[in-house]
Amino acid sequence: MADEPIISITDMGYTYAQAERPALAGIDLHIERGEYVAVMGLNGAGKTTLGLCLNGIIPHMLMGEQTGTVLVDGKDPGTTVVREMARTVGIVFDNPEFQMSQITAAEEVALGLENLGVDPSEMPERIAGALRLVGLEGMEERSPMGLSGGQQQRLAIASVLVMRPIILFMDEPTSNLDPLGKDEIFEIARRLNQEEGMTVIVAEHEVEVLAQYADRVVVLDEGRIALQGPPSEVLSKVDALTALGLRSPQVTAYAHALSGASAGLPVTIDTTLDWLGARA
Amino acid sequence: MQGVNVSVTHVRGTSWLHRLNPISKLAWVLAVIFFAFASYNPFPLFAIAGLGLLAGFTASIGKPLLRILLVFAPVTASMIVIQTIAPATCSNACTAAAQLGPFTLYQEGMSHSLSLVSRVLAMEIIALGVLMTTHPSDLFAAFAKLRVPYVLNFMVSMTLQLIPVLQREVSVVLSAQKSRGMKSSGFGSIVPSFVPVFAGAFERVQQLSISLESRAFGSTGAKTSYRQVKFGPFDAALAIIGLIAGVIGTILGLTLWSVDQTPSLVLSAALTVVIFVVAAIMFIGVIAAALLAIARA
Amino acid sequence: MTTEPAAPAAPAAPASAAMVDLHDARYVYAHGNVVALDGLTVRIGAGEVVGVMGQNGSGKTTFTKLLNGLLKPTSGAVVVDGLDTRQHSVQSMAAHVGYVFQNPNHQLFATTVAEELAFGPRNIGCTPEEVQERVEEAVAFFDLGAILPLHPYRISFPLRKLVGIASIFTMRPRVFVLDEPTTGQDHRTTSVIDRLIRRLGERGDTVICVSHDMPLIAHVTARAMVMWNGKLIADGTPREVFMDTSAMVRTHLTPPQITQLSTRMPGRASRPAVLSVAELVAEAQERP
Repeated sequence: MADEPIISITDMGYTYAQAERPALAGIDLHIERGEYVAVMGLNGAGKTTLGLCLNGIIPHMLMGEQTGTVLVDGKDPGTTVVREMARTVGIVFDNPEFQMSQITAAEEVALGLENLGVDPSEMPERIAGALRLVGLEGMEERSPMGLSGGQQQRLAIASVLVMRPIILFMDEPTSNLDPLGKDEIFEIARRLNQEEGMTVIVAEHEVEVLAQYADRVVVLDEGRIALQGPPSEVLSKVDALTALGLRSPQVTAYAHALSGASAGLPVTIDTTLDWLGARA
Repeated sequence: MQGVNVSVTHVRGTSWLHRLNPISKLAWVLAVIFFAFASYNPFPLFAIAGLGLLAGFTASIGKPLLRILLVFAPVTASMIVIQTIAPATCSNACTAAAQLGPFTLYQEGMSHSLSLVSRVLAMEIIALGVLMTTHPSDLFAAFAKLRVPYVLNFMVSMTLQLIPVLQREVSVVLSAQKSRGMKSSGFGSIVPSFVPVFAGAFERVQQLSISLESRAFGSTGAKTSYRQVKFGPFDAALAIIGLIAGVIGTILGLTLWSVDQTPSLVLSAALTVVIFVVAAIMFIGVIAAALLAIARA
Repeated sequence: MTTEPAAPAAPAAPASAAMVDLHDARYVYAHGNVVALDGLTVRIGAGEVVGVMGQNGSGKTTFTKLLNGLLKPTSGAVVVDGLDTRQHSVQSMAAHVGYVFQNPNHQLFATTVAEELAFGPRNIGCTPEEVQERVEEAVAFFDLGAILPLHPYRISFPLRKLVGIASIFTMRPRVFVLDEPTTGQDHRTTSVIDRLIRRLGERGDTVICVSHDMPLIAHVTARAMVMWNGKLIADGTPREVFMDTSAMVRTHLTPPQITQLSTRMPGRASRPAVLSVAELVAEAQERP
């Protein structure tokens, strides 16, 4: 891993225009290249806002008051054009259909390339590559509106991946999907992180899945980071999470009830079986 | 769903008409539209309509074309019905062609209405024929090539896509309201649906615009285009011929075939009655069906 | 809440007159000849709280839309609260079957929450006094006093979901149909909905809950139906259904994590799978 964190946020705060209270405050977050970071928090805790601060939408598109510093791959989103930031950070949102605007899947993926002024002769191959990465190979001529929710979300990811970002922020990507769709998206996130080395940040409520793949869990509460650390550390704090209106994986809650401990608890089924074995 | 057409009016195919350059096709559509507006002589116009239909059949879009024409049939029928019993062009000097009960069918009215129908049909058939054989993406790529502003092009293509989506949203909202016992009595029942549909549309546009921005949509640098429309010498020739034909036709139309100069069609009384009755049945039948549907809803 | 509530008791045998009675109900979409529901026969008794699980396209949504007449079966019969849905309009079914749509935004159009709550009862012909009484009942049950005068779009999305359910509640239907009530919601909202469904069950209402939130199904329902390709492939208590590995695998559904853990723990082979953390903890504490 490189020496410098790929994302360096120091004492960052952001208040939307005409909002009464800040959406984010005192954020200190340093993410290493290749990390899989899970962001948890109630609706309105600031997860989406955090993502938008990474690619420059905040402050360029959404005017408001921002304080502190943000550095993404050495660039300051505040002073870098969104076009540049789009090459570094890709964002996928929670409603797959709301991200579609083109008549065919290929054109949806091509949109980013067109905006970046990429040579048209390069496009077909890059589009095919992006579709392959998300398991939609050969679907260039399909209409996005005719795809299932899971397929649309994968198309949205492809449309972002084609711009070759090194960081992918996914804002509740599975909340509108059925279990099959959820599995597909989490599998893509895992593959991009483990096989392509991408830095992946996923804001989600599916705590059991996140516990399995994340290197680090960040818990947001009303715009502030309440907890941060490896899954086994953060998710073991069962009572603290409950107080925040969140929950730990069921197996962790079980281990907590048995042992009364709030540290070093297992967060997956396999580690729980080991843990139970060691206790016996 | 596999094989679903990408837009309401596009029919997949590989006919000669499909393969023609969209810009060339657009040139001919423009030509016909200008000619149809300028001319009132039904003969050349019915000829164009007929040739268009023939071309449609050779391009394997004949049946879908006829189907859509059938949808517009009541409107065209209404023109015939209304003009024939209340002609606009002869005030008090109208010639009665036949009598049908209390209605007097006037020859000038029938003639004028047929002339109007021929204009509409010519424009419809040519425009629909082109729309059906041109992939919407190629159409928009053609517009882009013709230097239509990117944003305008995008807005139209987005609207095309949103129509079925909004139709679906309205349908869901109406289902939700019906499920709460709302009786749909005319327009008043639709109005409460506006708020949820607009709220939904607003939410969609918000997320879409952020998603687009995140993919550098607002970037001021030079944009390239994925969909390329090749415009070779043959296509250019075809387009120029079309435009010239359009100009000639328009001049002819304005000078030779304007309203006053158009020879009036004189049909036998029997033919007049037959045409009138068929049009009336189409017109009234559709109105009745619509009223029935509203009453039952 | 650190301790999860105990799973509801299994239902008594359904009454002879079932609240929901489907007999070989089929639904085929006209265009494309898609068979959404391939002959469903099921009876649900009054007071049952039933979960319906399945992937998108499994027929679970088609099934729920048959219940209030939004869709009429292409063949077969659907009788709910004694009414054959083919003989009644959706509006007249509304007083018997309350369908809560997944997205509350699709319902809400009034200018205040109070108006929203009153809409349903007014439509089904309640007098102003009756409307007032039902609105007050809903306000008390859902704790909506503070937001009554507010515009529905000015309250948070989780609260809007509650208002959506409350505005169906005021119609006093015998059967509640909830379409994915917790999908996309955070844990706090999910807990509120969880508690709500249990309270409806305790009141004796029949609740049919379509969801792929497995822990929710485990906590609040006493019966689970699994749909796949338009057919009902499993129908039993949540415990039975979660342990039906072939059904789970075929429909790509995974039981709650704690259920999976319990089936893999050594020394538990003869015991049934658990439905909640509390159950497994109680088990651990019963041994000396």
